[in-house]
Amino acid sequence: MKRWTLALAAALMVYGSGAFAAEPIKIGALYMLSGNFANYGTSSKQGVQLAVEEINAKGGILGRPVEVIFVDHGKPDQAVREAKRLILENKVNFLFGIDSSSVSLAVAPVADEYKVPLIVTHAATPRLTEMCLPYVFRTSNNARMDSWAAAAFAAKQPYKRWANIGPDYEFGRVSWEDFITRLKELKPDVEVVSEQWPKFGSSDYSSYITALMRAKPEAVFSALWGGDFVSFGKQAIPFGLFKTIKFYVNPTGGALQALEPLGKSAPEGLLVSARYWFLYPETEANKAFVKKFHDKFGAYPSYNAGEAYSGMMMLAAAIEKAGSISPDAVKAAFEADGGLKFESVEGLKWMRPADHQVFEDLVWGYTKHTDAYPFAILDPIVVVPAKDTIYPTKCAK
Amino acid sequence: MDLSFVLLQFLTGLAYASSLFLLAVGLSLIFGALGIVNFAHGSFYMLGAYLLYWVVRGDPNGLWWGLVVVAALGFVIGAVTERLLLRPVYGRPEHYQILLTYALLLVIEDGVKLLFGAAYKSLGPPAALAVPVWVLGAPFPAYYFVQIALALGVALLLWVFLQRTRYGALVRAATQDREMLEALGVNVPRLLTVVFALGIGLATLGGAATLPMQTVSPGIAVEAVISAFIVVVVGGLGSVWGALLGAFLIGEIQAFGVLVLPEFSIAFVYLLMAVVLLVRPWGLLGRPPAVRT
Repeated sequence: MKRWTLALAAALMVYGSGAFAAEPIKIGALYMLSGNFANYGTSSKQGVQLAVEEINAKGGILGRPVEVIFVDHGKPDQAVREAKRLILENKVNFLFGIDSSSVSLAVAPVADEYKVPLIVTHAATPRLTEMCLPYVFRTSNNARMDSWAAAAFAAKQPYKRWANIGPDYEFGRVSWEDFITRLKELKPDVEVVSEQWPKFGSSDYSSYITALMRAKPEAVFSALWGGDFVSFGKQAIPFGLFKTIKFYVNPTGGALQALEPLGKSAPEGLLVSARYWFLYPETEANKAFVKKFHDKFGAYPSYNAGEAYSGMMMLAAAIEKAGSISPDAVKAAFEADGGLKFESVEGLKWMRPADHQVFEDLVWGYTKHTDAYPFAILDPIVVVPAKDTIYPTKCAK
Repeated sequence: MDLSFVLLQFLTGLAYASSLFLLAVGLSLIFGALGIVNFAHGSFYMLGAYLLYWVVRGDPNGLWWGLVVVAALGFVIGAVTERLLLRPVYGRPEHYQILLTYALLLVIEDGVKLLFGAAYKSLGPPAALAVPVWVLGAPFPAYYFVQIALALGVALLLWVFLQRTRYGALVRAATQDREMLEALGVNVPRLLTVVFALGIGLATLGGAATLPMQTVSPGIAVEAVISAFIVVVVGGLGSVWGALLGAFLIGEIQAFGVLVLPEFSIAFVYLLMAVVLLVRPWGLLGRPPAVRT
């Protein structure tokens, strides 16, 4: 009996290695691998690398190994060229990734034109999934859901005098617009006392901070992220901004790329979010992922690393379900049975069939210092259930 | 507008002006004495911030000696750059110098990416300065006073050096007539090395001094060199005091512009530059180009 099982195992291994001789599934991953925000692209890339390593160790998808070609997406025009090259020269079966909102808007039509499914894991402009393109999917939540969640928190606060300080481009503008529109619906008596729009990538925020404080807001919304949030934070702390206002909310302030550089100087009690937070959920699956990631890269997975990892795993699940890599079969797998429901390390992700936007629980929390980490963590964590983030779509299905 | 707020905004502008002055004064000095438009000036400024990050090894309290080390390193790097790269192109047409300094900008940008990675780096202020100082009842970052004092100190030392020392007098003379200076037996090549090294040392010092309140990434080099050019265009290319005046005006316009039209505050700075270019194309404290006979 034992010998028989051994023989079977051997046969399976031969079969398995034979399958690996099969043609790989090629995925072209576009991330921001150079420039000021390269730390975002690099950690996204690490998430993909870990996912693919695990997928291939288990025999690939449909018995075929996965091969990922990483390219730096740069600015939208460069990204479009790279996407076309991946499709035409590298003959990729899927496009994947994208950190920047404007790049996602430029690449999506290309993916659609060539009928190569695009799975977006980071870029967050709601306009992407409002384009209703049949071969474009987003496996992470978008900025509107973050802004609406922020507005729901804000509406519960007694504060009426609100101000904004955000980066002066697509993401910053759209985040504030969605936030304040929603907040005014929920709480009509709020008043906007100041709007500050420093240039995206600024290094000096002092005059904006003092101007903001002069308007005496009770609460501040801010979609500053990355190095902008770090510079802003370093300047706002000694100006006493976080002590004079009563409430500060930032939908991207929970990124490790923001909290780690601020270290112990980060103020406590800021309400921030990250689309994925490495300490949540406290499941075995997530703990195992964080450990593997930390062992391999010597860092905790950032929110976009978690999203990239989960996005790749969700795509693998869709292909397995489809039983084929044909774009239409994968599209059908994402859409069938009321939309693919996938249990990721972050928790359940549901793909809405109409607009191909994933909905999931959103992790928010208040910054707090502990002895366990050299940077502020989210404690307590406040979870916004996926059902509360569902907004109407005009895409037909 | 109450007085304490005006003072606060004035100080905020002054802090910004301080880093602009340290950045731009070297550009102006170098142009004055060497006649070279240094496109890589912002890159040395950025390099200074990276060097500080590197020498203090993440310890914010190492700032004081770190700044000294960085300025010294900047001086040496400047001297070596001048001797090895700039000296061979002095006699050549101007576009050689422009190409060379532009190439330096690219080399330094890729160099820091190679050494430090492309992501931004951050270092906090020293513990003693991570607190606000109260100015007429309003909190103001203590560290900004360090930046302001540093800029004023540098301006004062430069004044003493240029106006009160023999070597300073030679530097001033070099901006007027290099050939005559050479004919009088002055070691002009060495003088030019010293001026270039000084300018670069000040740029690295200025860049390093911003790190406690900002982040540094390869992208700030280009942003910095553009700001530096605006300052010297307003103040007068080649004039140290022009750099001081230009930095002051731009810092304050930025600070008070935010109050008037927050969405277009940056436009005021360019507006000032345009007006200066129309009215005094050689800058507020610059000299109109001399007609050589």
